[in-house]
Amino acid sequence: MNFDAIGGAIGEALTLASFIGIGGGVLIGYIVGVIPGLSRSVAIAIAIPLTFYMSPYIAISFLIGLSKGSAAGSAVSAILLNAPGEASSAATCLDGYPLAKSGRPKMALQMGLLASVIGDILATIFLIFIAIPFARVALMFGPYEMAAILAFALVFIAGLSGGSLFRGLAAGGLGIFLATFGLDPQTGMPRMTFGYTEMMDGFPLIAVAIGTLALSEMFIQAERLRNERDTMSVKIENSPDDRLTWKDFRPTIRTILRGTGIGTFVGALPGLGPSVGAWMSYGMAKRASKDPDSFGKGNPEGIAAAESADNAVIPAALIPLFGLGIPGNVSAALLIGAFAIHGITVGPLLLRDEPELLYSIFAGMIVASLIMLVLGWFGLRVFALITRVPPHVVIPIVIFFCLCGILLQGYGTFGLVLLLGFSVLGYLMKKFDYSFVTFLVAYIITPLLELNLRQSIILAGGDWSVLLGRPIALAFLVFTIIALIMLARRTLQRQGQAA
Amino acid sequence: MTHRANFWTGLVVTSFALFALLWIIPTQAGESLMAGMPPDLLPRLAMYLTLISGAIVTIDALRKMLREGTAPITLNLDWPMIGWSLWPIGFVGLIVFLLSMFKMTYAGPVILAVFLVLLGERRWYVLLPCSTVPVLLLYGLSVYLMRVGVV
Repeated sequence: MNFDAIGGAIGEALTLASFIGIGGGVLIGYIVGVIPGLSRSVAIAIAIPLTFYMSPYIAISFLIGLSKGSAAGSAVSAILLNAPGEASSAATCLDGYPLAKSGRPKMALQMGLLASVIGDILATIFLIFIAIPFARVALMFGPYEMAAILAFALVFIAGLSGGSLFRGLAAGGLGIFLATFGLDPQTGMPRMTFGYTEMMDGFPLIAVAIGTLALSEMFIQAERLRNERDTMSVKIENSPDDRLTWKDFRPTIRTILRGTGIGTFVGALPGLGPSVGAWMSYGMAKRASKDPDSFGKGNPEGIAAAESADNAVIPAALIPLFGLGIPGNVSAALLIGAFAIHGITVGPLLLRDEPELLYSIFAGMIVASLIMLVLGWFGLRVFALITRVPPHVVIPIVIFFCLCGILLQGYGTFGLVLLLGFSVLGYLMKKFDYSFVTFLVAYIITPLLELNLRQSIILAGGDWSVLLGRPIALAFLVFTIIALIMLARRTLQRQGQAA
Repeated sequence: MTHRANFWTGLVVTSFALFALLWIIPTQAGESLMAGMPPDLLPRLAMYLTLISGAIVTIDALRKMLREGTAPITLNLDWPMIGWSLWPIGFVGLIVFLLSMFKMTYAGPVILAVFLVLLGERRWYVLLPCSTVPVLLLYGLSVYLMRVGVV
């Protein structure tokens, strides 16, 4: 254990600059989370250009703080509006809104916040203890193992992040294909640049991420305006009975711990995401309850179950990221992009090359959780007011910042045209259920996949029997094939039932 | 998702993959005999994956359409809804065109105000701050914090 690095990391996490960066991230994330329709991945995509001029530690902590803040903030609109800020908070609506309508909105919000913070802190501690040994093992992996693990992760994400494995694989294939545009990394020859010098570096990640995630989402939101316009938020009154007491909180502790465990497990698996975690936790809390009929009618345990799992997913999704360099979801994939922008290779090499940075990020994550608690607790009324901002005001402003993100990076008209193109692609993928998550994850991990595939081919020299001497790589290739068969069967069975 | 939508999207995906395999990759991916891995290998593998997956989606949807007797084409579409879905994309396209001539900091307030009005906002006390504050933030960010000048 490198105690000097740990001491330095804690010191860095407690500086004023760190507090401002992380606090800013949590605050923006909270505001984004409160506004229905704006998700954490949209916020991260738009915020990445802002981090260019921050130090790597502040930049990554800012983005992780933003992610955590938006997960906690999404509960506010779920509870007060019955409209989740993010899909992962949909389970929170079931009990949060009835509880708020029954005259206890503040209590419901405080319950959601505490469950979020506890789930988040416990999962962060788990991440710290598991990611480092995980990364130490992964440092022994060679290109064969990494290529096989990346292929396995892609199939897993394609099968689980959307409705159909085949549409997911088609999206993943497109993501890999588009990521190969630009100079060939080995020969330096132009590859699919169509003679344009602007294409030598390929499609800018910022344009791809903001286009497929943020701008396309705004088009979807604008479309919904035709049918849904007004928002009716529950008001927080100054009632002395409307606060969270120890008597209210104590029965939910077990549910929060269970939710944290489920969220951590789900988050560590690539492709599942926070919605699965939140719904699984809600379902298990209902099954374990002595009074399951009270669920859906304003039971605080329902809020605790959904929110603890939702927030536990975020740190847990960083386990494969820091351990193997594989993103488990879109937010983690965007963090790879943010690391790359700062010249850092995320994954096990981070532990070897820049342990101080890794420990600083861990310390920053704990600081972010505590800031989230303070901000959420004392800013409750302000965040409740934000839920009244109508979506037709939010959409043009978010689109404006999407365009600004490209211009601030100096991509000019070329970048804007690409942004528009990728936004249309993202819009169509969302409309027709082609997993944009798989597309984006595939786009981001392709350079790593290509590097490892190339090294494997060169090392093997055409003799694939070398795989027999690499049991981990072979095991992951077998897992990939098994996962492919099982997910394909599941997709076909589902389609058969739907028909 | 309807079978018709699956059929058409699958067909588009399959056609694109075929186009990439037959024209884009052979003419644009380049080749190098010295490279350990040919530069066209990964894009080719990716497009084969897309081709096979797209073909499965198309064939499966076609099979179900034939079984249910669904016609592949219908004119019974919600055209007003399609128009409503398309105009924001068209408007952003227009903004991109305008931004090739004007800087965002100068054109931003007008763009934001027009967009807000088109989305139904008429209150001046909402229009004014919503169309100026984001631009002021952009100015502060680009000129004073990032020091890249007016964008």
